[in-house]
Amino acid sequence: MISGEEDRMDAAAGTPYMLRVENGPEGSVLELLGHVIGSGKADALILPFRVPSGDSFAWILFSDVSLLKEAVPFPATMPVQGGKALRSLTRKERGNLKVIALMRPCEIRAGIELSKLGQVNTENLILASYDCPGAVKLEDYVSDPASCDSSFSDMRSRGEPSGNVRSTCSTCMDFSMVDADIHFGYFGIEDGRMLVVPGSPAGRALLEDLNLEEEEGLLPQWKAEISRLAEKRAATREETFRETEKRISGFDGMLATFSNCIGCHNCQSACPICYCRLCYFDSEVSGNDPEALMTAAEKRGGISLPPDRIMFHTGRLAHMSLSCVSCGQCSDACPVSIPVADVFSFVAERTQRTFEYKAGKSDGEALPLRRFLKTELDGVHDMVKDAESEAASHE
Amino acid sequence: MSSISMEKSASMGLKDLLGYLLDSDKVDSVLTMRRIPETGAWDLALISDSGNLGEAEPLAPVMTVNAGKELSSLSLSGKRIAAVLKPCELRALIERVKREQGSLENVLTISHTCSGVFPLEQAADGSMDELLPKYEKVSSMGEIPSSVRDTCKACQHFIPMDSDILLSAAATQRPGEGCVLYLGSEKAEEALKEFKGNRDDRVFDPSSLDRTAAARKKERDRLFTSMENDCSGLDGLLNVFGKCVGCHGCSRVCPICYCALCDFESMNFDYNLPYFEEHLSRKGALRLPADTVMFHLGRLTHMSFSCVGCGMCSDVCPVGIPVAAVFSRTGERTASLFDYVPGRSLKEEIPVMVFKEEEFSDLG
Repeated sequence: MISGEEDRMDAAAGTPYMLRVENGPEGSVLELLGHVIGSGKADALILPFRVPSGDSFAWILFSDVSLLKEAVPFPATMPVQGGKALRSLTRKERGNLKVIALMRPCEIRAGIELSKLGQVNTENLILASYDCPGAVKLEDYVSDPASCDSSFSDMRSRGEPSGNVRSTCSTCMDFSMVDADIHFGYFGIEDGRMLVVPGSPAGRALLEDLNLEEEEGLLPQWKAEISRLAEKRAATREETFRETEKRISGFDGMLATFSNCIGCHNCQSACPICYCRLCYFDSEVSGNDPEALMTAAEKRGGISLPPDRIMFHTGRLAHMSLSCVSCGQCSDACPVSIPVADVFSFVAERTQRTFEYKAGKSDGEALPLRRFLKTELDGVHDMVKDAESEAASHE
Repeated sequence: MSSISMEKSASMGLKDLLGYLLDSDKVDSVLTMRRIPETGAWDLALISDSGNLGEAEPLAPVMTVNAGKELSSLSLSGKRIAAVLKPCELRALIERVKREQGSLENVLTISHTCSGVFPLEQAADGSMDELLPKYEKVSSMGEIPSSVRDTCKACQHFIPMDSDILLSAAATQRPGEGCVLYLGSEKAEEALKEFKGNRDDRVFDPSSLDRTAAARKKERDRLFTSMENDCSGLDGLLNVFGKCVGCHGCSRVCPICYCALCDFESMNFDYNLPYFEEHLSRKGALRLPADTVMFHLGRLTHMSFSCVGCGMCSDVCPVGIPVAAVFSRTGERTASLFDYVPGRSLKEEIPVMVFKEEEFSDLG
């Protein structure tokens, strides 16, 4: 089992509850959320709804519970990353209204990273997550919503990513409980019941007094299933990352991977973490002024336009890989099908591991680049020394 | 004005021309489509060493970026550039120059009749290579290739307006049989003084492309009728733009959208919580992030009458919204009220920049 997830499940704020879901989990979950609003414990919800054309979803903030029946709590795809939606709402300040957002684990994690970056204010925000088998690629969903809804339903019942799921979903280890206030767990539990796990005192406070049944020994079977699924994902992750590492190694590898990039920055726009109003790579200091470009063309015999596209990706990796939650929005947004998310999720694992940091946890750990440690990354000093002496020996 | 004919394919003829311009120091750099040798991917290149022209594919039917957009910024450097531009890219350049986002002073524009570009996905996944022979055959017969962008199929301005040099490529001769450069300005005459080729004073006859123009018009009517049906009224707008994810890729790749900070990404549209909460109390529900459709309405208001229909917007849209069809059609309808055609002439002022005391009096 993934270290941390087991602890998280055990440290859940008290005994989990159970929800009977005979008529399907969607209806029961919506009913529960409706009760929370009705009891005055929360004022509004953020849930996905189908867009008018029926082939995608949008986040809706609403207080009118009569709209609940149209909500789609577990959408097959992820058009807008939930973290981005939270950012648009709470960036500037804490609200007066208590809002519950039901989102995928990676969206919750993105929201938590954003709160560390000062872009999301989590006071008065209740974050709820659910067991996630993955998200169908957006492009595939839009071209055939009905069959994707069906394949997603199948994925949920087996707890596994399959078919036209995003590639990062197949390697995701954070598909169950994360640092949300409430978690809906259902993998490995037979039809008719679902776990409602409080993940924090705030989550527990919300669920108390709702007359929910206590769980009847469902925990062990749920944990066992999560463990089993995690082992499978871990194997896929290792293999996939090995392949990715080979593919992007060296400049040639980067060139081959990003060669089709047209510099549209859709990946950056879709990314929940990339919040800069003016991206460094669009700013004057990035050296893309006309004179600089013409001079570069003359010096090198020619340049590619728009300029610095590989630099953009390398720069974005440097800027945000420590907070990357591997949601896969970037790949879905790319108009030329570059596997951006595969690259970013691999590099993110490496950078986060280097700093012993895990993106998306609300345990009070500061972002690595915001904390100063007197002794850190000892090995780097030796690496630099070795590199310097090797360079000297070639002179 | 003279014309120069060469007994080589249009692509070879253009490459020779670009090499000549660099080697005889008529320009500092040339702008052309290129195929990256290591990977086979396509990009737009600014080349200053004629030795690198081997990689150039000046007539490649692909548009990774609107070259008019890139050229306009480069033109502000004061260095001399010769650029191969598709007709819509040339028109985009003119529209940008009108907005003081570029200068024609040190630019030599080379354009050609255009049969359309492949969608980016096909250029990226290699299927364009397989479809190219059919594309070339079909376009040489004056017909519309089936695999190009929808706005290309419907494009009425596929003959360049007012370039320094016009290369006749489509429908006037079979590929590989020879090409003609029509010189359209003193600048071009001066630059090509020593360029080798058979000179006479032929003038380009657009009537040779009348059949193509008719086919395009038919396709345009079909595309726009279908689009107007889908998009009419607020319900129609919501239906077409409802699945927009707010990536703003459309505006980013648009040659006319030049704002360093788009109004819709500025503080003007960055709401605080009291705004949301007040909205919520009045309406019961609202979408996050907000202003999905508003962004498109705003962009239509700001730039549609200068839309050149290049189709970059639709091509980058992650959810396949037919942005280009909507913008191109809306633009055409608004521009026609002013008898304006974007990019037709530098002398035509942008409609919203001109004040007339008497205008649209019937609206009063």
